[in-house]
Amino acid sequence: MIEIKLVVNQKPYTLDVEPSERLIDALRNRLGLHGTKEGCGEGECGACTVIMDGKTVNSCLVLAAQANESVITTIEGVGNRRSPHPVQKAFVEVGAVQCGFCTPGMVLSAKNLLDKKSKPSDAEIGIAMSGNLCRCTGYDKILRAVKIAAEEGKE
Amino acid sequence: MKYFQPHSVEEALEIAHRYEATFLAGGTDLVLHMRTGKVQPTGLLDLGKIPVLREIKEFDGCLQIGSMATFAELGNSELVAQNAYALWQACQSMGSPQIRNQATLGGNLGNCSPAADSLPPLLALGAEVHLISQEGEEIVPLSTLLSRIPLLGQETLIRGFRIPINGRQSGFAKLGRRRALAIARLSVAVAVEINETRVENVRVALGAVGRRAFLSESLGRELSGQELNGAWLEKGVLEVQQIVREALGTRASAPYKRVAVSGVFREALASIISEGGTQV
Repeated sequence: MIEIKLVVNQKPYTLDVEPSERLIDALRNRLGLHGTKEGCGEGECGACTVIMDGKTVNSCLVLAAQANESVITTIEGVGNRRSPHPVQKAFVEVGAVQCGFCTPGMVLSAKNLLDKKSKPSDAEIGIAMSGNLCRCTGYDKILRAVKIAAEEGKE
Repeated sequence: MKYFQPHSVEEALEIAHRYEATFLAGGTDLVLHMRTGKVQPTGLLDLGKIPVLREIKEFDGCLQIGSMATFAELGNSELVAQNAYALWQACQSMGSPQIRNQATLGGNLGNCSPAADSLPPLLALGAEVHLISQEGEEIVPLSTLLSRIPLLGQETLIRGFRIPINGRQSGFAKLGRRRALAIARLSVAVAVEINETRVENVRVALGAVGRRAFLSESLGRELSGQELNGAWLEKGVLEVQQIVREALGTRASAPYKRVAVSGVFREALASIISEGGTQV
């Protein structure tokens, strides 16, 4: 076991993790943050996306130990029922959610884009969301939701 | 399994010397390989906390890139866009944003997949690799390094890359099944020096054609010192098809790649022309 220190959703943690333990396993099993989903487990689908030190990563391809000394945001740190993040609000308004399994990863990719760029172009939105797969909705509504969230942010 | 997280190159080399540990760069390949059981390391030596390995700088007439610079950092670097356009292009299309944020140039070489996106551009750009171990340091052309088996000694760390800044123009194109997240089925990088209407010092490298990316010296020679025109392009297309034919032999993918390479080669050249503003 190795000791790691990290900040998750603004809370500091010290954890003992196995060297081969992935970040997604530490988040879900040790911290009980089940909002982060495991889809393919091989970096293709983006369902496990979290924000690590201001960058989106696939938490199934990062070892927990690699995240030592990092600041992490999971979907639980983005918004909640009472005060959803603008991206979450737009997803609901547009109907960009069907089964919902990809949604946490989608929201984190979109949030990270808007954190960095308040007025992204359509092309920039497309690139930012290109690492997240959805097997239900066909992307049109998802991209529209991100656009709406971006426009709301501008006001 | 032991896990090491050194904060300096010296410390990393000391650990590599004392323990049988596998270097861990971004982990986008290694973490997956560990999970599938393809790789079963007895120790991991995480290079992620050594800031000096992340540097991207111009020094000594070269673009120097630390082995732990990520594809995203390279793809956002003005220095890379200006001096190593083909590499910059490859960094835009590799994997997905999440993978680019984590995957590193050194890891791409260390893992050395046949389809490694960065290797054809680095070969075309004439990159040298800076290797270091407790035994000493070595600067070796990437084309030479790629002919070694095994690629690296157990204790040898990829310190970084040096790309000569020489005003050459370069371009890259890859064929994948779709735009994002696709493993390259075929990739081509080209670097040229254009003197008015003549093309000099042509370097062409191919990826996903055989076990490792390679530089075709014969193709470079054939295409150098000639007038830049349509006939030159067609000659290049025929030659590059011949090279793919020879490299792939009777492999199942050969009939497809032999034809497909002509389009990828044209696309790689087109990206140079549009970047440099020169008309063919």
